[in-house]
Amino acid sequence: MSRIEAKKPSLCTNEPLTKERVSFSLSVLSGIVKSCYGPTGRLKQLHNGMGGYVRTTSQSSALLGGLSITHPVLKVLTASVQNHISRFSDCGLFTAILCCSLVENFQRINFAACTVTKISRHLLSLCTDYLKSEACGCRISVDFDSIKTLLSLVHSVLASKPACMLNKTEANHLSTLVLKAFLLTIPHTVETNVVLGKCVIVPVKDKRVMDSTVFPGLLIEIPESQLARTFPVIRVSSSTIKMALFCISLSGDLSNIGEGTVIVHHGISLEVAVLDQLLNLGKQLINDQVDLVVCQKVIHPSLKQYLEEHRVITIDRVGVSMMEPLSQMTGSQPIAALHSVSPTCYGSLKDLRTESFVSKNFLHLIPNDTLVCSLILCNRNEMAWDELKLACQTAEHVLQLTIKQPLALLGGGCTETHLASYIRHKSFTLPASVLKAIDCSRTQYQLVADAFSRSLECVACCLEHDDGEILTDMVYGHFWSVQSGFPSDCNWSDLVLKCGCGICSNQQNLNWTVLQSQCIPFTPQSCSNEPSVNSTDHLVLDCFTAKCSGLQVAVETTNLILDLSYIVEDQN
Amino acid sequence: MASAASLDVGRLVQEAEALASAVRGALGPRGGQMLLTRPTGETLLTRDGRRVLEALNLGPPTARMMVACVSRHHSMTGDGAKTFIILLSKLLRGLQAILDKREGSPFCEDIQRRESYQKHCHSLKQISQSLMTFQTHILDHIMAQDLRKHFLSAFSSWEGEISRDTMESILEAYFCGRIGNSHQKLLSQLSCDFYYKCISFKNGRNEMLNLVNEYFVELHSAVTGLPVSNSRILEGFVLHRDFAVYCPADGDIRMLIVTESIDSALSASGLEFVVNAEVQYQASQVWITKRTEAIMKHLQNNNIKVLLSSVKQQEIVIYYAKISGISIVECLSSEEISLLCKTTGISPFIPTRDNICSEITETMIAKFCQPLVLGSKRYVHLGLTKTCAFQPHCVIFCGPVHGVTEQHASAFHGAFKMLQQLFKAVDLSDGCEAQPETPVNGQQLKTSMAETEKQFIDFSSLVGENPSCNQTDLQKSADLAMPIVELESDFMFSALIDRGSSVRELQKPPVKCQHPSETWIKNKSEPVVTNHRICNDAMTAIENTSTSVVSKQLNSYKHTVQSYTNVVIQAGSVLPVGGNFEILLHYYLHSYAKQCQQPKITLISTVIADALLSIPKILYSTTKENSFTQVFFKATSALQTNQQLPMHQQGLESVYCKYQLVASVLHCVAKLLTIDLIIGIRRLPQKTEVNDSEEDL
Repeated sequence: MSRIEAKKPSLCTNEPLTKERVSFSLSVLSGIVKSCYGPTGRLKQLHNGMGGYVRTTSQSSALLGGLSITHPVLKVLTASVQNHISRFSDCGLFTAILCCSLVENFQRINFAACTVTKISRHLLSLCTDYLKSEACGCRISVDFDSIKTLLSLVHSVLASKPACMLNKTEANHLSTLVLKAFLLTIPHTVETNVVLGKCVIVPVKDKRVMDSTVFPGLLIEIPESQLARTFPVIRVSSSTIKMALFCISLSGDLSNIGEGTVIVHHGISLEVAVLDQLLNLGKQLINDQVDLVVCQKVIHPSLKQYLEEHRVITIDRVGVSMMEPLSQMTGSQPIAALHSVSPTCYGSLKDLRTESFVSKNFLHLIPNDTLVCSLILCNRNEMAWDELKLACQTAEHVLQLTIKQPLALLGGGCTETHLASYIRHKSFTLPASVLKAIDCSRTQYQLVADAFSRSLECVACCLEHDDGEILTDMVYGHFWSVQSGFPSDCNWSDLVLKCGCGICSNQQNLNWTVLQSQCIPFTPQSCSNEPSVNSTDHLVLDCFTAKCSGLQVAVETTNLILDLSYIVEDQN
Repeated sequence: MASAASLDVGRLVQEAEALASAVRGALGPRGGQMLLTRPTGETLLTRDGRRVLEALNLGPPTARMMVACVSRHHSMTGDGAKTFIILLSKLLRGLQAILDKREGSPFCEDIQRRESYQKHCHSLKQISQSLMTFQTHILDHIMAQDLRKHFLSAFSSWEGEISRDTMESILEAYFCGRIGNSHQKLLSQLSCDFYYKCISFKNGRNEMLNLVNEYFVELHSAVTGLPVSNSRILEGFVLHRDFAVYCPADGDIRMLIVTESIDSALSASGLEFVVNAEVQYQASQVWITKRTEAIMKHLQNNNIKVLLSSVKQQEIVIYYAKISGISIVECLSSEEISLLCKTTGISPFIPTRDNICSEITETMIAKFCQPLVLGSKRYVHLGLTKTCAFQPHCVIFCGPVHGVTEQHASAFHGAFKMLQQLFKAVDLSDGCEAQPETPVNGQQLKTSMAETEKQFIDFSSLVGENPSCNQTDLQKSADLAMPIVELESDFMFSALIDRGSSVRELQKPPVKCQHPSETWIKNKSEPVVTNHRICNDAMTAIENTSTSVVSKQLNSYKHTVQSYTNVVIQAGSVLPVGGNFEILLHYYLHSYAKQCQQPKITLISTVIADALLSIPKILYSTTKENSFTQVFFKATSALQTNQQLPMHQQGLESVYCKYQLVASVLHCVAKLLTIDLIIGIRRLPQKTEVNDSEEDL
């Protein structure tokens, strides 16, 4: 009885946001995420101090997953960012930085929480309506006829992960591979319900990034000894390879005995009985002219030997994760019966080859219709490989999201600065009826709108880590950066080359000013008609769906945090 | 050794006030959010007073008892936890003041005890008893006599339909208190849509609400990481499982529910399987496989397209299902199965030797049955064609964090609990629900008073209820402050006569009233006898009596016509939000106290009346335009001159919930005050909680 401990009373905090502890932890977190942002972001090393695995990263998913956060307010913040990442993979840091700076900026103006919440919700609806409207000046539609925009999207994702340690050619090479792999997963015949195939990433470490390749079909690793036994494949007459896929164990174990007792008389071996059944199954497979038997679980050695004697290739223990792509790619149905196997379950393969990388041997299953592909991903060391894998998965996810909604936002900080100037402009021309509906004064609205725009610009500013100057133009509202150490008597137009997303170049007289300096509000123009849209250079683009949702999640989370009036912490 | 301590009212007040201060910040539309952390590290956002109070992990047994009372009340009505604890603390504070006064207090008189402790206990007991008397007699009386004329009805016609505008203003007011103004609009729209989409015909309202409340877990899904604005209503059910096998099918899809494995095992429990030879074992294995194949073929021949299973099926079943083009959803929870059975009225299919060849009848038909991806999870989306009173729909809650979706889901659930309460009625005494008199009273208005008298007696003798229904009571004039002793016997009828004598006066409220009896007679010119039969159904009866229209426009509010019922609160009675109920009850309690002969009751009524004012005080403490004193002054002067109450906010709330709240608080206080010793024992810490058996007084 002494083990029962009375529960400790909970710790209550009133008005938590005014406390020192929150603002301190918030500034630490915001410092971490801000310094990671963008292609020139700084890397973070995560370790447990006890000789464990060390991770070098600048990606939000790895970073936030690794940090242990104790303060409940920050827990809400990181949890919402992590949930965003699990849905969209991309724009995690954007969401985190925006959320942090919104909290900081809104706290600074010090209005009642419900006023700020109402106004910021209205501002958010202005943003989302603008982004979704045709008139939006910071988005471009993705043309699936040419791969240029898609390639730009992938390239932007890979380039924004400095911990992958890619140089320019490597980044280009990998972008092409990721895009190629994605295109292979799109079915040739389009029905009402399009189901994308799968891209399996095969790890090969200790090789150059340039050695990475994409294979249509699946690569299954097999030991070398088996390779010698099975090859060369002798094909029986037909040009395709007949395949049987089993999802039950073929090891001869007794299945489904039931809840009662089974009494076995002396001298009777159930194992022999089952093995008998297995060999009968083998006979049937051979009669049906099956060339390849793949089993999710274990195949009994006797059956294996029997099948191999009859020139049937066997692969076992492929695992449950490979079953879906295998059946998708070959058209075979996983068989769960030991006798009377229906011939309709068999699938077919176009070809079967062997590939070897470094010290690994793979059986390459080449399907007739490529829905599944394997991306062999190489990088020099373990840490960089992990980071690269994550980046490739993100890029794949971004492509999947883009195919659903074929739009892309301008990257490189241009969307943020553009939106900020749009919001500033809107807040000055807001009709009085709207103000009445929100129940606030124009000054209040403008102050909150200014804090909102500042927070957006703050995200853009985080792209610059080397003390460079950040400018914006008064026509398009884009982001321009100037390297540090410029002569003071220079004109801005002599220093800038291209805007952040690469769409505008220094041809026009764009009337630059320093970002976040006070300037007259203006309507930012759309620049999708600029000639450079069709140039050969890579643009910097962001995933539309992920960024829109990230923006909404950041504002909603900020509102939640600002609205907190009381914290009850369970101390048990 | 056990340690014992006597109950200290001062301590009770402190505890209740500490609890109240924890939730005060979240009260009302301008209150903030609370953040709770669990021992597991999860965070939860809430404005739900119950959640907050339970999360406090309190030590003192009396405080825990208060929280338990709050929880019980909340789980019943889905609302009012914060108001409960604030009211409780104020009430205790008021009672403490009475006790401290001692001199001249009616609770300390005529007790000739030597020890002050016993004296103290005695006066506590007295207060507790008076509270219970107040709750059982006077509260109902005041509700029926005075407050009722201020009630509005949520129903737009006598048929008991509820208009969308009214529904929205009720729900909006509810969500305003539960989740604050950030997503209140969205959720009230969502729940309003849900209500109207789920209801298939109007008489099925209660059945639908019961189903929604019982199976709310199955009827909603949460997706984190998406903006709240993505929350939506889907037609049909979302089963929280993925297909084990999915074979797309078009048109009407026949489905079957199974609750056991289709594949039979080698031996069943309690049976022995004797293996004599290897061949025999192999043959039985083959037989089992063949049997499974035969069942699946049989299902295929019966055109079954989907199998919904509560258990995990063997791989062999899945294999044959795939071959026969049957989709399987397995491992469904027992709640999901019973929800499906209830809405479609079918029972699970059990494959036996007998029915394996006959036609399968227990099937349901779906318009669609397809995979649905929500967030990262894959579910089954099911649209049934033939259903009961409940049209299957489900809600998807989206939010950036789990805490938000959970908050929205629990608020949504609470809203439906509240609606369930809204359609409840309260009778004068608990024992006589659904009395046949109720509807007839509407008729009486047309007839003369003499006839009314006669019929009253007829009915009462007909029911056999209260045979000593003294005619003298009928002659009695309306007396607000009735002696409590007589209350039980003649309360009902004197109340009726009350109404009767003042009926002509009531006809002249500023807004034109539609007479209930007029509509009644115009629409249904049936003899009185049939009315009796019809109106045995309490629900219909109550719906028939409500006549006024409530719409969102303030100027078109109409007073509910005071029909002659012995129902204290009619189904669907509502009041405007913003402390109106509290101010009204305060006002009438005060005027009652002035006329009351009994000093104890006078005192108790005054204390309760003052405690009630604490709620509007907090509500108006943060607004700019209206301060509490202004609002209170305006309301009281309006009441004194028999005018309509001024309203400051749109939105309506259920009177029944408010009434329940006051009753529960009184109960809780009465219960607390009857304790005289708190004994701490060593053995199990949870045993030190105050036993609930002291409830009966």
